[in-house]
Amino acid sequence: MLPFQLHFKPGQTVYGQVVYAAKKAVVAGLLRPGDRFPSVRQLSQELKINPNTAHKVVAALIEEGLLEVLPGIGTVIAKSHAPSRAETRELLSNEVERLVVEALNLSLELEDVTSAITQTWQRITKKKS
Amino acid sequence: MNTIIETKGLNYRYGTQDAVRNLDLTVPQGSIFALLGPNGAGKTTTLKTLMNIIEPSAGEAFVLGVPTKRLGAAEFQRIGYVSENQEMPDWMTVGAFLAYCRPFYPGWDEDFCSRLAKQFQLPLDRKLKHLSRGMKMKAALLSSLAYRPQLLVLDEPFSGLDPLARDEFISGMLALVDEADWTLLISSHDIEEVERLVDWVGFLERGNLRVCEPVAKLQERFRRIEVALDTPPAPNAPPPLPHADWLDISLIAHSLSFVESRFHPAGIEVKVRQVYPHAREIQSSPMTLREIFVALARSPLPTAPALN
Repeated sequence: MLPFQLHFKPGQTVYGQVVYAAKKAVVAGLLRPGDRFPSVRQLSQELKINPNTAHKVVAALIEEGLLEVLPGIGTVIAKSHAPSRAETRELLSNEVERLVVEALNLSLELEDVTSAITQTWQRITKKKS
Repeated sequence: MNTIIETKGLNYRYGTQDAVRNLDLTVPQGSIFALLGPNGAGKTTTLKTLMNIIEPSAGEAFVLGVPTKRLGAAEFQRIGYVSENQEMPDWMTVGAFLAYCRPFYPGWDEDFCSRLAKQFQLPLDRKLKHLSRGMKMKAALLSSLAYRPQLLVLDEPFSGLDPLARDEFISGMLALVDEADWTLLISSHDIEEVERLVDWVGFLERGNLRVCEPVAKLQERFRRIEVALDTPPAPNAPPPLPHADWLDISLIAHSLSFVESRFHPAGIEVKVRQVYPHAREIQSSPMTLREIFVALARSPLPTAPALN
């Protein structure tokens, strides 16, 4: 069992989708600092993905500071890691792109989109408070 | 790049028919390589020549650096082979079968073997002939994994397996992931079932190897291109000669669509305008392996051999 859910979508790279799922799990608090992260073999076996891809995912997450390697224990979510603004913003990039493509298909202007986002934002945040 | 399997001009003839034609196949060490193609494309024939079960009519093949005709015990102790129609001693129990295989392999890892047997939920005291197809395939796989082979060759391993058995089978073969430079060669007619697993593909079609390269490279060079034309070509004018790199071309009114087999983001516009000066808007979208293979299968064989 993996500590995060992942349903692969066609047309996107496996690597990108796994990295995204792992980051989302950390941002959402499913994985907390100090929690064990699955090994390359576990990732590969559970997700049925290429081990080299799994290896690339783990290496990239270590490189970014999201994971750290503790000798004798394995790979865990880094203690010091607070997701940067750039990282959290990057998590939205797919959705943003989809929104922009839809808006262009409907021949909307940029202002139409931003005002729709602002309105929705205000509606939701008002409800919350 | 070290190659673990290499063929040069490999041919296999059944009667007057070439089952496999002039095959130049390269499987790099450490890769998970899928040999894909429709049924009857020559996949099983190719694998059988590689395992020295049949002899090629012409050409050469090397496995682990040894000509296939000279493969012997020393090599087969480092190779695991499981085929769809695996012959097994049906009268034996699973346990007896594993005990029978063990002495052939100095590298047999009994702990690993029992761990996998548990993972596969194999009933050791049941006779092979009383097992379901999925169970029997898992028993065959187990007997080929237990000595941690350097090269695992699987011929259509999933056909006839239910989704659960298939998942277990895949997890099982990935149990060897920790081995350094472990190579997996797997043949399949179902692209989706291996798509996320493999990093190299060969596509066989009617005995011809149409592509043989890393998946990433293949997906980088193939794009579906959609072009909106300002003015459609006059209906009675001969159609413009398409570029040699284009496959599966269709032109309906103002809409042109084709598959570019040597895509380059910076060059595509010039390339399209050379043939269609009235191109207004050019869009390119990435393709799945299935889409790429369908496009290849629909187009005639190129005169040049597979691109690499």
